[in-house]
Amino acid sequence: MTLISSRALMNYLEQTTERHIQKAIEDYQNMDKARLLKPAKNGGWSIAQCLDHLNGYGHYYYPLMQQKMDTYREAGETYTGTWLGNYFVKMMDPDTGKRKMKAFKNHLPAPDLDPHEVVSEFIRQQEQLLNLIRIARHRDLNRIKIPISLTKYIKLNLGDTLRFIVAHNERHMRQAELAGNVINVINVKNVVE
Amino acid sequence: MKDGLSILKELAGKIHPLPEAAMEDFLSIWMPFQAGRKELLTVSGNIEKYMYVVLDGVQRVYYQDDLDREATIVFTYPPSFGGVLDSFLLQTPSKYNFETLTPSSFLRTSSASFNTLMEKHHSIETMVRKGLSGVIAGLEERLVEIQSFSSEEKFRSLLKRSPHILQLVPHKYLASYLGIDATNFSKLINKVRI
Repeated sequence: MTLISSRALMNYLEQTTERHIQKAIEDYQNMDKARLLKPAKNGGWSIAQCLDHLNGYGHYYYPLMQQKMDTYREAGETYTGTWLGNYFVKMMDPDTGKRKMKAFKNHLPAPDLDPHEVVSEFIRQQEQLLNLIRIARHRDLNRIKIPISLTKYIKLNLGDTLRFIVAHNERHMRQAELAGNVINVINVKNVVE
Repeated sequence: MKDGLSILKELAGKIHPLPEAAMEDFLSIWMPFQAGRKELLTVSGNIEKYMYVVLDGVQRVYYQDDLDREATIVFTYPPSFGGVLDSFLLQTPSKYNFETLTPSSFLRTSSASFNTLMEKHHSIETMVRKGLSGVIAGLEERLVEIQSFSSEEKFRSLLKRSPHILQLVPHKYLASYLGIDATNFSKLINKVRI
């Protein structure tokens, strides 16, 4: 068990989310469709697919967290990472969980995406997440429990859930960055034509 | 906040040069204030407590109807005055919200301090009158744009005034400011780029 000051944790989560949202506003919302949809060099997800995958999680978790925080309004000073929470976060965090993972079936990106709509929804959700983190500063991070998206039988506390979500965001923002960096043959060909 | 005060001094001086004593008093009423992205600083229905000087970041004043539809009325960025000015000056409930769109830093002051100085120094009141005249001119210009410009002209005019805004602000707020559909907005970007 790790004891963390809620405030320090929330500062970290807010800064990381701020970085993600800035990247989307500076770069992704201004990119053309083709570049957002271009598969990564290794055949992996495009930028739009990475963001769509994150939107799927946000769609589940963010309204649920809002609802729980509206219901249970007590504040807490410290937060205790649970064994299960730490395990999930470690697996998701791109610095500690190096293993490539396969997305669960219900979290696979759709094949036909409108990339600008995906980016716009991503930005909307990240603004929502920033707000949730700010509300969470005044809530008991241990007491509020959130069922994970795969099964309602496993619940994580609010602190674990927020850490898991931000680590997951970081993982796929890095993946999107790589997908966007690669200038491959197809791109050059488009320019020539 | 010496830096912020020199920005304010320049901003005020450009509107109307103040005598030294008035400027000294004017600079003494402001306090530094910071806010993160998407923080609601003024909520409609409340009286605007502060006038802001924007030192960093982008903010907007917007109207929200009972179906939660939003209309972005104005963006503010440095260096300028900000907040819901009519509510601040008249001390009547604001019809609008004022929020940050990026992490922002400000100077701000209360209406009590502001009014005291307007009564004490005629030159400050003159500065406010001239400043408000400029605001009216800006609003009239915007009304003309809204009523007679095409979407593309409005878009180009916005980019001309603030070329970096596409990288700073989520496009949906820009679309809301121009009064055009978010889908049309991405089409416009592609068109104007080419």
